[in-house]
Amino acid sequence: MAQTENVQTGTAKVDNPSRGRILERIRGGLRTVALKPAQMRSNRVIFATIQNPLERFRQECVANLMECTLTADSAASTCHFAKVLQSLPEGDIFAQDDPSLRRLLEPAAPGRAIRWSSQGAPPEASQATVTLAEAFIAQTGSILVTAACGGRGASVIAPCHIVYGTTSQLVADLATALSHLSQQRTLESNSFACVISGSSRTADIEKILVQGAHGPRRLSVILQTAT
Amino acid sequence: MPQKVSLFVPCFVDQLLPEVAVDTVKVLRRIGYTVEFPEDQTCCGQPAFNTGYWNEARPCAEHFVRVFKNAEVVVCPSGSCATMVRNFYPELLASSSLRGDAIGVAGRTFELSEFLVKVAAVYDVGASFPHRVTYHASCHGLRELHLREEPLQLLRAVRGLTLIEMARFDECCGFGGTFATKFADISAAMGNSKADSIGTTGAEFVTAIDPSCLMHMQGILGKRQAPARTIHLASILAQERP
Amino acid sequence: MSQTAAQRFLQDAAEKSADLVHREIIRHRMESYDAAHLKGRTRIQDWEAAREKCQKIKREAIDHLDHYLLQFEEKIIARGGHVFWAANGEEACEYVGNLATQRGVRTVVKSKSMVTEEIHLSPALEKAGIKVWETDFGEFIVQLRNEAPYHIVTPAMHLNRGQIAALFREKLGQEIESDNPAYLMAAARRKLRQAFFAAEMGISGANFLVADAGVIAISTNEGNGRLCTSVPRIHVVVTGIEKVIPRLEDLAVLWPVLATSGTGQGITTYSTLIGGPRRPGEADGPEEFHVVLVDNGRSRLLADDEQREVLHCIRCGACLNICPVFRHVGGHTYGTTYPGPIGSVLTPHLNGIKEFKHLSYASSLCGACTSVCPVKIDLHHHLLQNRRNATEAGATKPSERLMFGAWRRAMLHPWIYAAGGWSMRKALRILYGLGLAGSILDPMRVWNRYRSPAPLPSKSFRARWRRDLGSN
Repeated sequence: MAQTENVQTGTAKVDNPSRGRILERIRGGLRTVALKPAQMRSNRVIFATIQNPLERFRQECVANLMECTLTADSAASTCHFAKVLQSLPEGDIFAQDDPSLRRLLEPAAPGRAIRWSSQGAPPEASQATVTLAEAFIAQTGSILVTAACGGRGASVIAPCHIVYGTTSQLVADLATALSHLSQQRTLESNSFACVISGSSRTADIEKILVQGAHGPRRLSVILQTAT
Repeated sequence: MPQKVSLFVPCFVDQLLPEVAVDTVKVLRRIGYTVEFPEDQTCCGQPAFNTGYWNEARPCAEHFVRVFKNAEVVVCPSGSCATMVRNFYPELLASSSLRGDAIGVAGRTFELSEFLVKVAAVYDVGASFPHRVTYHASCHGLRELHLREEPLQLLRAVRGLTLIEMARFDECCGFGGTFATKFADISAAMGNSKADSIGTTGAEFVTAIDPSCLMHMQGILGKRQAPARTIHLASILAQERP
Repeated sequence: MSQTAAQRFLQDAAEKSADLVHREIIRHRMESYDAAHLKGRTRIQDWEAAREKCQKIKREAIDHLDHYLLQFEEKIIARGGHVFWAANGEEACEYVGNLATQRGVRTVVKSKSMVTEEIHLSPALEKAGIKVWETDFGEFIVQLRNEAPYHIVTPAMHLNRGQIAALFREKLGQEIESDNPAYLMAAARRKLRQAFFAAEMGISGANFLVADAGVIAISTNEGNGRLCTSVPRIHVVVTGIEKVIPRLEDLAVLWPVLATSGTGQGITTYSTLIGGPRRPGEADGPEEFHVVLVDNGRSRLLADDEQREVLHCIRCGACLNICPVFRHVGGHTYGTTYPGPIGSVLTPHLNGIKEFKHLSYASSLCGACTSVCPVKIDLHHHLLQNRRNATEAGATKPSERLMFGAWRRAMLHPWIYAAGGWSMRKALRILYGLGLAGSILDPMRVWNRYRSPAPLPSKSFRARWRRDLGSN
């Protein structure tokens, strides 16, 4: 399919003659075959098989400085939401607009204004954000969120990010999670996805780990047992 | 099992550290080998090769191949020189008329500890050296010839020898051929860090399979008037049990 | 009087090599890295298999670079994003600068991108009157100090907390009461938060360009990259053309390997995938998305079938961390965007072999870099090839060419070699006997500056062999 040598930016087209020249140079450069072929010894297992994903997920959460609380049912989940929210300073929270979160959150946050994602981006001063997740990944103790989980800012703007999900969303490893993303074409209907493996952090000063950089200092996962 | 070995003596060992070669001969004879020394050998070509002068290194390599092409097995008390022949001669002489011979010689050339353990299948060469010794893993032997255990296996079989592990034993000592004079400040800084590591072990001796590393380290240790001295693996193994 | 890059390097290297405080700081930082890296490696059952897999992925990507770039471009454009191909840094800076000016951008927030350093994007934007904030904590610090990043992953590793506290006191207009790292991070967070929410444009790099999904992948720990790509209304990605990978699933091994090699983590905290501007129905996100694909010498390197694999680099920094030269002279001494072994190999291709060939010689060729590279680039052998290339291009000193010419003649004739060796030893013995070691007459004076003189035996091995060792 022929590409035009222009780039559209709003009203004005930008000429991009270099595009053709770069492609030509690439094709020219690739006419010679590289000298050393890559060897791949087959059938070698790179990552150890995960026998107990839930156990592994919980261990990784500890290592990632994330909170992971297992709850038996919705009542217990609401209870835990309340507990986390009570521990936070006064202020509004932002939540992904989803029926399950509407049910769980409203009783858990008396006296707090909840701004829902259907109303727009999270306010800068939010004390916490609450979202669902696409999946939970045992191998790395990660949550997979997409734009559908309340947008991009929902998982990074506030000092505390609370994620709610069920154990049926747990997958063993990154390979499985990425394969699902591909098969379900999630990135066609979402402009953004993120694998989050802990609270924000930096080790830029003396290689000393500081928890809480520009993103949340606290990441709390509420994982309800699936029925 | 070949009973005769041809000795490949690096040029700077021949000229500046002859005892390393003398001790190599002692060890080989003690374990039952006949040693021949082809006197027409000069240099494997590594100094020119490593500095990028491949056109100058090439005839030198061809000369080496002619000298050694009929040897059953070639033994060399230097990891870097053995590496030159084994790993780089096939590439350097790829277009030479001596290419076939070069590949043959390369396949039959061994560093000393490699020869003792892997070809002669001997760990205990009847040596005695009752001293505290630390080991420096020279880069070529370690990363080009993949000799991680062999020198240590030989050292552990030396009677009375106390082997002390040094921190960062596999960090480069800083010699690097012409690097040592082209970038003398960096080379010396690296050498001094190595000397610090050696000092921390409290060892009397530091040993290695590469005489060029040892020459550089001895220079650094000498300048600091450090108590530790360098000694080549061959010279330790040559110390006979009474 | 202006210096060549080589002269400047020698001078800086001399200074840093003697700086024991600096050496101790770097040793300490690298020890932290070593410990974390080792721990990180235990999470990967077969590290060698992981390296081979990553090498294979990048090999496939680079060997079909045009195909995968076009696949990536098509998907980005289909989602309403823009892709601009820049032949060099000037074109890239012009595109971003014009875009910013046309859109009325006054403030830019930037997450870490070595390519933007390479093309000097920030100075170009500032010249156009645009304020640029580096938001990666380490980059923010060196930006305030007006210096280049010290390391491609940890830009401020050469500084201690006291220096950073003093810097913040001076530059941030906030009360800085402590040099505790968490306190300092909080101060930076307060300052940069204003920028995140005021900026009209966020600029990021990309760790990977995923061809089949048509998304960019960015790995960060701090969340600054997340904010740069979520809050401002325009998101611009500046990336090298070589960052392509074929499939989304390739990230299953590349993400853990990048994190393990870079910092010892199992995976970077925020492993983000972005495919375009916000879609209808999404709560937030930029309205415009631009990807600037930068060539700047990479397509030329592609044509070098011996060194093409240098384009496989995933910029993890592991080679810098293990390099004993880096550990002794530090990142600033190199004077290039990319320091360390990868920088020494890559820079002559990007910036010219004549000016930067010295970097390929400033190495003992120990091979530690090659042994840790997660995509198995044969780094130290490429340094050797650069030396060969420089010699063949006639770019070496005439005195050195003469010397090796003479050396060659000697080595081809055993009697010249033996006589030459004997004469040299004899002459040096006389010289040193007269107390002239280290003097201008001493040909070994550079060696002797830092070392006690090498031994000068009266008999070579071959002389002894001939005399009494010959019989078995």
